[in-house]
Amino acid sequence: MPGMNSGINVSDPTVVAAFRSALLHQGLIALLIFVVLGLAWLSLREFLPAAWRSAKTVPDPAPAPVLAEPSWRQVLRVGFGIIWIFDGILQAQPKMAVGLPSQVIEPVAATSPHWVQELVNWAGTSWSYHPMQAGAAAVWIQIGIGIWLLTAPRGPLSRLAGLVTVGWGLVVWVFGESFGGIFAPGLTWLFGAPGAALLYAVAGALIALPESAWRSRLPSRLLLPGVGVFLIGMAVLQAWPGRGFWQGTAHGKPGTLASMTASMAPTPQPHLLSSWITAFTGFDEAHGFAVNLFAVIALAIVGVTFLSGRPRLIRPVLIAFVVLSLADWVLIEDFGFFGGLGTDPNSMIPFILFATAGYLALVAAPEPAAEPAAAAATAPAGLAGWRSRLRAALAPGALASARLDSVAAVGAIGVIILGAVPMAAAQASPVADTILAQSVDGSNAPLDFAAPAFQLTDQHGRQVSLASLHGKVVLLTFLDPVCTSDCPLIAQEFKQAGQLLKADTQRVELVAIVANPVDYQLGYTQAFDQQEGLTGVRNWLYLTGSLSALQRVWRDYGIVADVEPAGAMVGHTEATFAIDQNGDVRYEMGFDPGPGTAATVSSFAAELRDTAQQLLSSS
Amino acid sequence: MTRPVAVGVTCAAVGAAVLAGGCGSVARQQQGYSSRVVPAISMQTSLGSAAGTWATLVMGGSAAQYNNFWQLFVRPAGTSTWKLVTPPGTADNGGLVLAVGSGPTAIGAFRPSQLLTFTPLIQTSDGGHAWSALSPLDAALASTPAALAVEPGSSGHLLALTSSSTAEQTSPAAAKWTALATVRTLAATPAGRQCGLRALSAAGYLPSGVPLLAGECSHPGIAGIFADHGGSWQAAGPAVPPSLAGQDVTVLRLLTAGNETVALLQAGNGHDASLFAAWSGPAAGQWTISPALGVRGAALTSASFGPAGSVAAITGGTAAVITRSARSWQYLPALPPGTATVALGTAGPADALAVHGSRLTVWQLATGGQGWTRVQVVNVPIEYGSSD
Repeated sequence: MPGMNSGINVSDPTVVAAFRSALLHQGLIALLIFVVLGLAWLSLREFLPAAWRSAKTVPDPAPAPVLAEPSWRQVLRVGFGIIWIFDGILQAQPKMAVGLPSQVIEPVAATSPHWVQELVNWAGTSWSYHPMQAGAAAVWIQIGIGIWLLTAPRGPLSRLAGLVTVGWGLVVWVFGESFGGIFAPGLTWLFGAPGAALLYAVAGALIALPESAWRSRLPSRLLLPGVGVFLIGMAVLQAWPGRGFWQGTAHGKPGTLASMTASMAPTPQPHLLSSWITAFTGFDEAHGFAVNLFAVIALAIVGVTFLSGRPRLIRPVLIAFVVLSLADWVLIEDFGFFGGLGTDPNSMIPFILFATAGYLALVAAPEPAAEPAAAAATAPAGLAGWRSRLRAALAPGALASARLDSVAAVGAIGVIILGAVPMAAAQASPVADTILAQSVDGSNAPLDFAAPAFQLTDQHGRQVSLASLHGKVVLLTFLDPVCTSDCPLIAQEFKQAGQLLKADTQRVELVAIVANPVDYQLGYTQAFDQQEGLTGVRNWLYLTGSLSALQRVWRDYGIVADVEPAGAMVGHTEATFAIDQNGDVRYEMGFDPGPGTAATVSSFAAELRDTAQQLLSSS
Repeated sequence: MTRPVAVGVTCAAVGAAVLAGGCGSVARQQQGYSSRVVPAISMQTSLGSAAGTWATLVMGGSAAQYNNFWQLFVRPAGTSTWKLVTPPGTADNGGLVLAVGSGPTAIGAFRPSQLLTFTPLIQTSDGGHAWSALSPLDAALASTPAALAVEPGSSGHLLALTSSSTAEQTSPAAAKWTALATVRTLAATPAGRQCGLRALSAAGYLPSGVPLLAGECSHPGIAGIFADHGGSWQAAGPAVPPSLAGQDVTVLRLLTAGNETVALLQAGNGHDASLFAAWSGPAAGQWTISPALGVRGAALTSASFGPAGSVAAITGGTAAVITRSARSWQYLPALPPGTATVALGTAGPADALAVHGSRLTVWQLATGGQGWTRVQVVNVPIEYGSSD
C-alpha cells in the first residue's frame, strides 16, 4: 500500500523521544484541566452564596421518581469505560506513533478487498504524515472517552458519552481494523470478528439510549438475543467447508486456526503465555477437526440458548460462554495487547460484557432511584428541554451545584479536545511533520563560510554561476542523473519544497549539480528533469559542466562521487547546503532520503522550506 | 423475543454467515496473472564481433532485492581469456543490452530499474577498456536482447525498441531520438496486416543499413520481419518451411554480422515449439533457413551468435549450435552446472560461461567436442546492497 508506511523505524529514538515529549506535555495539560476544574468547583462551592447554589432556573413542579441506572447499562458503561482507558494507555506505547500504520493497520488491511485497502491507506497516510499528533490524539481521545463513560452515569452527558463512543469506535473499526476484517477471507469469531471496535460502538449506542428506554423491554430484546443471533451466524461460518478450519494441517502446512495461533506465538510476551499458544497450536494441528467441531457446537448452543430468553437455561450457559471466551482470549487471540503495538484487548472481553449485560437486562427489573431527581430528568422534553438544560448549565451556580462526577466528565471532554484539536489542525496541513526527516538524517548542521564559487551549465545550456544567484537563498544539492533510487526522491523533495515556498519561490533557487563522473552530459540532466517532472519548475537548476569543472566543485563542497565496479551505481555524498542571500553557506543538511515514502519526501520538503524561510527572514 | 421472530433473525444471521463464507472463498479465487503474448527472451547472451566475443550475464543475488547485477565480459579477438568490462556509471539491475557494429565499436544500454525511466547509453571502441557516455534514450528499452542495434558501416545510427513497442532511431552524435514506427503503425501497414503483427521483439539492420523490425505474427506461417525502405515498411522475412507453415512464428533475435543478418525464430508454442535460424544476404528477402530444432516445451534460456554467423541456443539445459552451411543442429556435450550462455569463437572452440553468485567459471569445449574443461574463474566484485 503506497503511502501508508512512513518507512521510519518504529523504534527510531528521535521519533520515540518526540512522542514521549508530546505525551508528557499534553499529559500535564490534561492534569491541569482537572486541577483547574476541581479548584473552580471547590472554590465556587465554598465561596458562592448558598442562595445561588440552590437557585433553579427550571421550575420543578412535581419531583417525579426517577430510575436508577440499570445494572446492564452500568456493566456496559463501566466495562467499556475501563477498556477505553486501557486502550488509550496502550496507544501511548513508544512504537505506536510510527508503527501503527505500517505494523498494525497495513497488515490487517492486506487481506481485505482493494477498496478497503484504498480507504484504509488514505487514513494510514494521513497518520504517517503527522505521527506525533495522531499518536497523541489516539491516546487522549480514548482516555478521555473512558473517563467520561466512568464519570457520567446518567443524564445528557452520559448519553453524549455513548454517542462519542459510537463515533470514535466506528472510526477505529473502519480505519484501524479495516472493518474488523469482515470483508477479508477467514472471518471467524475465534479471531475476533466482527472487530472489537464495532462492539465498542454498539455498546456506545446502547449507552446513548434515552432513559425512557431503560424502563422498556428494548434492552432485554436487543442485547442477549442480538449476541445469540450473532453467535449462531458465527457457528455456521465456522462450520462452512473449504475455509481451512476443519483441518489441523493441510498439505503439510498448519490449517487456518493453527497458522493463526502459530503466528501469534513469537509476539514478545511472557514465556508462559507463548508456551500456552504453542501448545494449543500443536493440539489444533493434531486435532483440528475436533477443535473446530467443539467451536461450532459451542457457538451454536450458546447462541440458541441466548435466544431462548429463559434465565434458568441462560445462567449456566453464560458462565460457560465466559469460560470459552476467556480461553479463546488467552489461547487464540493471545490477549491482543502484547508486543509493543497491541492496541486493545481484542473482542472477547467486550463479548463477555455484552453477554453479562444482556443477562442482567433480562433478569433485573428497573428500580427507582434513592437519590433526588436531577433537574435534567424533569425538564421539559424536546428542544425546549435542551434549551432549559443549557440555561441551567450556564447559570452562575451550575458548577457549584454540580456533582463531582459531572465535573470530572467535563474534564474528560477537555482531555478529548486536547487530543483532537492538534490532530485536526495537523491534518489540515498536507505537509508531513519535519520530525520524519530529522529521524532519518538528524538536525541541520549550522555553518558560516563563503560558499565556494562555481560556473556551470544549466539544463537549458545556459551558463550559471553562484555569483549570478546572489540575493537569493540557494538550496544546493548533488544528484546523479542516472541514479535509480535516492536521487529521484531528493529531486521530488526539492520539487515539493518549491511548491511549498509559494510566494517565496522567486527568492529561493533550487540547485542541483551533477554527481556522476561518467553520465554528466547535458542530455542526462535534461532526461532527468523530464523523468522527474522538473521541466516546468522555474527556480530549478540542474547544473553540469566538463568533468574537471565538476570535480572542482565536488572537491570544494566535500562531495565524493566514486565510480563503483561491476554494475553498481555511482556512490556519492548526499548532502544539501543552504546558502543565504550573501552567498554564505549557513547549513549543511544530511540528505539521505531514507525510505523515500510519500511521508518522508513531504517531510524533507517541509524541512527545505523551513530552512529557506528561516534564511529569508534572518536577512 | 418471540419464537417466530427469533427463527427469522436466526435465519438472517445464518444467511449473512453463508454470504460471508462465500465472499471469503471468492476472494481467494480472484488471484491470477495474465500470460505474456511474446515469449520471454532471456537477455543473457553472447555476441561475436570484430573486437572479440562479448557476453552479458546476470550475476549476484536476488533481483527482487536489486542484488542482481548484469556483467559484461569480453574475450578479445585472438585470445582465449575473458575479461570483466562492465560499463561504469549506472546501476544495471534492470539489464544490460549490448549492440555491436561492423567495426570495433560496441554500445551498451542500461535498462532502467527502480525509479529510473530512461535508458543511459555508453560506448567503447577499444574492447571495453574505456567507456564514454552517449546521449540517453528518452524511454525504457524493451526487455529483449535485440532491443538495440547499431547500423553497419560508418554512420553508426542506433535503432532502439522501447518497452512501449516503439522503434526509435538516432545517430550517436545526435541527442534526439526519432520515432520510426510503433507496433500499432507497423501492424496497420499492408505487410503488418498480412502478418497480423501482435508484438515487436527485435530491432536490427540489414548489412546495407536498412532498419529492420521484427516481432510475432498472429497469422500462421509468416515470419514478421519488416524493412524500412524510405518510410515504407515492407515484409522482409524469410519464407517459413512448409513443415512449420501452420505454426505461429515469433522472431526472437536479429543480428547483423559481416555481410549477413542472422535471425533466430520460434515456430509454435509449448510442446510443439521449435527453433530455426535464418541468414540473409546483403539485400532483404534472400534468406537461408536452417532445419528446425525441436525444444519439447523447454524455454530458450540463452541464444548467442558467433562472428561467422553461427547460432547457439540453450533450451532445457541443452545447447545446440548451427552454422549457415550446416545441415543440422549440432548438440554440445552436457553443459557444466550454472551455464548461462555459450560463447562461440571465430573458428576456435566454444566456451560455456557458468555463473554462481559473483563467480564466473569459463569452461572450454575440449578438442573433439567430447567434454568441457575449466579454463578460467573470474570473481566479480559485486557491491551487494548498493542499489537499495
